[in-house]
Order: sequence, then structure tokens, then C-alpha cells
Amino acid sequence: MTVGIETELAVLIDVGSAWAKASVIGRVRGRWRLVTRVAQPTAWGAGELQRALLERLEAAVDARLAPRMGELLASANRIECHTARRPGRIVVAAVSRELSGGAARRAAEAAGWQVAEIVTLDDGRSLADRLATLQSVETDAWVIAGGFDGTRSRRALEAAALVASARRRGSGPVIWAGSDELADEVAALFEAEGCSPVGNVRPDPRRESTAPLREHLQGLLRTVVAREDETHLAAIALPRAIGALAVGSGLRILAVDIGARGAISALAEPDGSFDSRIRGGGGLAGLAGVPGSAARVSRLAGDAGDEATVADLLQTLRSRPASLAETPEELSATHAAARVQAASLIEDAAQGALDLVIGCGSTIAGAPHPAQAARILLDGLRPIGVTQLALDAASVLGPLGTLPDDEISEGIGLLIEDLLLPLGTAVVCRGGEPGRMAMRVTVHRAGWPDTAPVEVRSGQLQVVPLARGQEAELTIEPGDGVTLGAGRRSPRIQALATGGAIGLILDARGIPIMLPRRGDDRRAMLASWRDALAREPAPGVERVA
Amino acid sequence: MSVVHRIRLPIGAVPLVEVGHLAEPAEVLATRRPPGPGMSIPVAARLHRSPAVAAACLSVTPGSYLEAGERLAEDRGREVVVPSACLFLAYDLDDGTALVAPLLGNEPIVGHVRGEVSAIDDEGMELRIGGALLEGVGGTGGAVHGELRVAVHEPGEELRASMIDVDATGRIVVGGSRASAETLTRARAMGVAGIVLGGLLDKELRDFETTQQRRRQVGGTRGDFAVVLLEGFGKVGLDPGMFAWFRAHEGRMASIFGSSARVYVYDAEPPPARRALPRPGDRVIAHRRPHAGRAGELVRLLDAPHAAASGISARSAIVRFEGGPTAIVPLANLEATEPVPGA
Repeated sequence: MTVGIETELAVLIDVGSAWAKASVIGRVRGRWRLVTRVAQPTAWGAGELQRALLERLEAAVDARLAPRMGELLASANRIECHTARRPGRIVVAAVSRELSGGAARRAAEAAGWQVAEIVTLDDGRSLADRLATLQSVETDAWVIAGGFDGTRSRRALEAAALVASARRRGSGPVIWAGSDELADEVAALFEAEGCSPVGNVRPDPRRESTAPLREHLQGLLRTVVAREDETHLAAIALPRAIGALAVGSGLRILAVDIGARGAISALAEPDGSFDSRIRGGGGLAGLAGVPGSAARVSRLAGDAGDEATVADLLQTLRSRPASLAETPEELSATHAAARVQAASLIEDAAQGALDLVIGCGSTIAGAPHPAQAARILLDGLRPIGVTQLALDAASVLGPLGTLPDDEISEGIGLLIEDLLLPLGTAVVCRGGEPGRMAMRVTVHRAGWPDTAPVEVRSGQLQVVPLARGQEAELTIEPGDGVTLGAGRRSPRIQALATGGAIGLILDARGIPIMLPRRGDDRRAMLASWRDALAREPAPGVERVA
Repeated sequence: MSVVHRIRLPIGAVPLVEVGHLAEPAEVLATRRPPGPGMSIPVAARLHRSPAVAAACLSVTPGSYLEAGERLAEDRGREVVVPSACLFLAYDLDDGTALVAPLLGNEPIVGHVRGEVSAIDDEGMELRIGGALLEGVGGTGGAVHGELRVAVHEPGEELRASMIDVDATGRIVVGGSRASAETLTRARAMGVAGIVLGGLLDKELRDFETTQQRRRQVGGTRGDFAVVLLEGFGKVGLDPGMFAWFRAHEGRMASIFGSSARVYVYDAEPPPARRALPRPGDRVIAHRRPHAGRAGELVRLLDAPHAAASGISARSAIVRFEGGPTAIVPLANLEATEPVPGA
């Protein structure tokens, strides 16, 4: 029997370190639409993923196509990205823990490396202990830093000699990111081409310059660890897709993915240029065992239990990254951990005002309620000004970023209807005095009667309903000492807001968010913010906290 | 069954055994001479040169290992030699001295495992171990070995300080669902080699590590001690199947590696295996609260995704836990546990 209906399918797969996500897109009557998607632990394997997709497809498609679904799925184009098979491990040897060591560590983490050990000449250890530590660590590369440019620091040479003593000749590459005066001397400690000089991470006492080392290490990561085709790495593909989206939309976009092990951020400009950051230990697992992290997460979550309970959860996220939170308390702690890691991911980046923030990956885009995803983005990133929020709910941006340059925009264009789940628009301000008016916002919606301005006090979070597909013109009047980021000539700021699953979020909680010291007050305030975002709105009524 | 264990050898280590050698846990497999505190050797002064000129007369580069009497620098018939075996670390252009770290006496490298040496290279040696390997989720401490002693009666029972007696000295004690920092401290004080548990509160583990670190700093502790957690963090019991396996192997020699959370039990039958994606009829272990560490039988897979109390919707299964209660659990939080052959 022949089937009287034809279709064309493609499968977009994003294989993370803990979870694999697959979406099937299909073309029917000339339009590409998202047909179905599944997510499962990566350990379950490709066969199970295929089986689950098939089961969903057979239930979702035209009954005449169902018997042929297996054949169609098997022959469908597969567009896949994945997390690097294993993290690149690096050792940092430096003169000062605070200056050269700290800068080198941040550069290495921002480039996607996992810092296996950091040894500095002021770390309180004996020379013998430092050598023993360096000799016992397993690493793929070494970074040495120390001395300001134009100076000859004996201590910097000692740090280099420590590495020369601990490293086997011909093993992992060495990068010198210290004083330019010492570059030749340091290189002479290693075999020919064993050591590469890059710009000093601390060229003078008052300036840090991590970009040259970070860029060098990003390239090295691809050659040393991720030998597979680099365009299929999620860390490469996601920023490419965001770059193409920025060009197509003319927006300044920040995308963030807090994964099980690592985290990625990609900041793309309307001209298509982008700056990506990959933090090897920036995922949910990265907080386990870090001094103070359990207390911080417990404090930020408010309803996740005490510090000891949260410490156990953070260890569970490390040891069983594919498992899921079953209780509200564990989910709350997981999301608080994601907010901490999101803040840490962008802490040393000059991000400025953004037009659109996109949450990607299972932790953010897979949150059970859009309000929880919005909270991770808002609290973690604190995007000052007027910013649209959205989710890569179908996990298709990463796979699309693996396409050739000229096809990414085309792919985005074809899937535009299903590409992003809009959460709404956030107006985030900074400054002001607690309890006093932070901003007065008038919302004009075409075809709707004008409503009274919404007054938001410092420390408050309010939500004005604005459904997906709706637009509103905003007139924002900041209070005394309050700013939305950019300088202004007029006491009123005009902006356009688009709606989404949450609506218009008016956030005057400040940057950073200040929480009450008293536990009961803090928990009450956190709960009120949570409820303001999550409550189902009555039409036209603001939600206030 | 057999597994391969790799021991890393630091630079300069000298292996004392050859391939084919049958090693015992306490045996010294290699030695090394670690560098000690640094000292300065005048170079420019002895060569009668300025510090800058003397720098060009160095015979070796920083990072080089030198034997006693070996030349460090040489110029016009004058030479500077090192008084003892050392590691040359740096040359100071300001005062013309060399910083070296004399090598200390031989330090033994103990394998802590029983097995046949199967390979040796510059970076380490491999031993083939006849026995079982268990990989845990966390732990603390270095490598220790001793006979297994099961100290609790039930897999979910807490290991209490009163259960640690003189019989436990030098042994690896198997506990149940947790142990307090006080219990761990007492175990160490009683000379227990190590502890294997189903779970432990992360806070208790950190508290114990902190007290041990402070005692080490004041010279109050000697010898090694290790803890390995097999199931999870918090009050999490051992899988009953695994507990039965430990009971069946009580008295066998075992080695545990705290920081890498590995347990070797010699001459042992394979332990209960774990498998992701369990099927109906499988014995399963749950890994997240509120069921963490509980064992049961997977009764049925649900046809559609189910939302847990957290709101997360996922493929789920009905599990009948031991003791009666039935619950719906996300499939991602379950592992199938295979029965022990012959048990």
C-alpha cells in the first residue's frame, strides 16, 4: 500500500555530559516545524534515544505516516553537537595566588579548562610539597605566570623551574603568561617548542589582561583534548548559532548554559562577532566541596533546607549528574546553585546592556516552570536595562551551530517559529533607597485602554501580564539615584516590551540583590519573589512582591 | 575475575620490581628521593665574575637533577660543583647565586595492592589484581589495606562509635548508612585502616577532614586512614545485595583508595553489577531523596511522563520498595542491580 502523504525529517541532537536532548523537525507542506522532542540521561545510549523518539513520533504524526516512521527516522538528516568527551586538565604555577595565579586560573577556566592544581610561591607550602604536588598531578597542559612586564622576577623563574622539574620532557605543552622580559629564559627550560609565550596575564600591578592567554588556551583545548571535529563541540557550536541569531535579529544577545559539569556563555553582537566563555568547573557539579558554597546556596534558595542538607545535594549533583530532583526542596537548591554558577560565569565580563538573554540546556531551559528559568536568568545574570528573556526549550541552537556558516542563519530562519520560547521582557534597575520608589512604568498596549502607571519600590519585583505575541510600549521614569544602565538625557525612558510565558517583569531588587540578614525575613522575601513570578496572572492585574 | 590497577611514579622514581613480580599490599615497589628545602650556592663569587656574566657560565638549566659533585657552572678553569644530589631551581641575576633543592633520603612508594606487575614505564606501573573492584561516589584519605570486617547488622544501620573496638584495628570496617565525625575520629584513633559506607553526610566528612588536617599540622596523627562511600551523600544505606556480598567476603584482604573512591577485594566473586535504564522485574536502587539508597523491584514503566513533586516531568516507573511501600520514581534516578552469581 502506498502512503498518500510525504514528509521530510531531520533530527537535531545535543549530547551533554549528563543528558542527551533530541528534537525531530519535519517539513510538511513546505514549512519546517518542531514535531517532537525527548531528553534522557546520556548513559542510556543512542539506541534508546532513537527508540523514544520513534515512540513519540508514532503517537504524534498522521496515522498514514506512522508505519513508515522507523524508516523515515533512520534516513533523516542528523545534526549533532556534543560536550567534549573529557575536560582538559591544566596546572597553574605562578608567583602570587592573588595576582598572577588568580588571573591565570580565571583565564584557564574561561577557556574551558579544568584547573587540576594551582601552585603559587606564596601558598604556604614548602618547596618540597609544591614539587611533590606538581609531580603527582595528572594534567594535559601547564600555565606559568609571574612578574610584571619589563621586569626580571627571580620568583617567576622559580615558578618556571618548578614546572621544569616536575614535568616529563615532551609531555603536555607549557604556556608562559608572565613577564615579557623572561620569555626566552623560560622557554630555554623546556625542549624546543615545548613552551609557548603569550601576553602577560598581569602586565603591571594594576592591570589584568587574561584575553591573550584565554584565546591561546581555547585553541589549545581543541588540539590537545578535543581532537574530534571542533565544530560539533557544543562549546563552539552554541556561540556560532548565537552569533548568527544576533546578525539576523539585529540584537545584542547573551546565551547561557549551566551544564552538569561545565558552563558556557556566548555574548553576540548584531555584527555577528561573539565572545564565548567556557568554564570547565562551572556546572552544577562544580560547587561540591567548595568551601562556603553549600551555605551560599542554602541562603539563596531559602526553602532548600539547612547547609548540611544542601552540601549533600551538591555532592549528589557531582556524583550522579543525570539524576533528577524529586522534591521541591532539592529543585530549589539546584536552581539556586545554577544562579550561583551563572553569576560566577559572567563575573569578570563587561556585558553591558543586552537586548535578549537566552537560557539553554537542561538546567535552565528544562526547568519545570518558566518562572524558575526566568529566576535563574534574572538573579544569576542581573541584566540591567530592558531585556527580553527566552529559552532554547527544544535544545536546537547547539545542533544548528554545527552547520556550515552560510546554513546556520538559514536553519534559524526555517525554525524561527519554534526556535525560542519567549518568557517576556525584564526591566532591571540599580540603585535607589530601600522602600522608596525605584521606577514608575506606564504600559501602553495598542488597542487596550491606558492603565495607571505601575510604581515599583526598591527591593520589589512586579509582574505585569503580557502574553506571548503581544507588544507594549513602556515609559519608564527612574526614581532618584536609580539607573537602567545607559546614560539618559530625559527623565523618561521609552522602550518596547514583548510578552511571553511570564510577561513584563519589573525588577527593582538592585545589582547585586541584597537579602535581609535575618533568616525569617530572607525566606519570606525569597518566597514572595518566587510567588510573584510563578503565580498565574489574572488578566490585567499586576503581581507584586 | 581480575582488574588492572595503575600506580603513578613521580620523576626520578626507581622501580624495585620487574614485570611478572607478585606484589603484596605492604610491599615497596619503587623508591624516590624527594627534594627538600631550598638552599643557595654562590656561583658568581666562586667564578670571580659578575652575576650577569656568571649566568652564561651555568652548565645546566633550572629543573635539572644533579648528583653530588656534579658541575653547576664553569669558567676559565674554575668550576662550581654541588655538594650533594640536588635539583637546580633558579639562578639569581642580582646576587649571582643558584637556588637548589637538595634531594632527601630514599622514600618508599608502596602499592597498597596485591597483584602481578604487568607493565612498567616511565610514568608508572600496572598491576593485575585477582579480585573485585568497587567504584564509589566519594571519599577521603589515601591508600590503605586490611582485612574486611562488617561492623553493622543491617545495610541501613548507622556505624556508631561503640561498634569500633580493638578487633577493628588494622582492618577495613564496613558500615551502613552513615557514620558521625566522632565515629570516624575514634576509628582512626583505634588504628582502623579504613571505612567503607553506603553514605555519609558531606558535612561530617568535611568536619573529619578538618580535624585531621589540624592534627597533622601539630604532628598528632600518624599512618594512613581512608573512607569510601559507595552509594551517596547523606543518610544512605548500602544496597542490601552489596551488603550481603560484603558479608560473604568478611575476612578477605582489601585495599581502599579514599580520594579516588575505589575498593579492591582480593580473591572475591564479582560484586552485584549496576546498570542504567532498568526494566520491569529488575531489582533497583533509588538515588535521590526521598528514596535515596532504598532497594526494591521495578513493577511497571509508566506509559507517559510523570511529574514528580518537584514539578519535573520525566519517564518514570512504579517501584515496590523493600518493606512494602510503592512509589513512582523517575527512571533516571534508578539503577538496576544484578544479583550475585550463585547467591
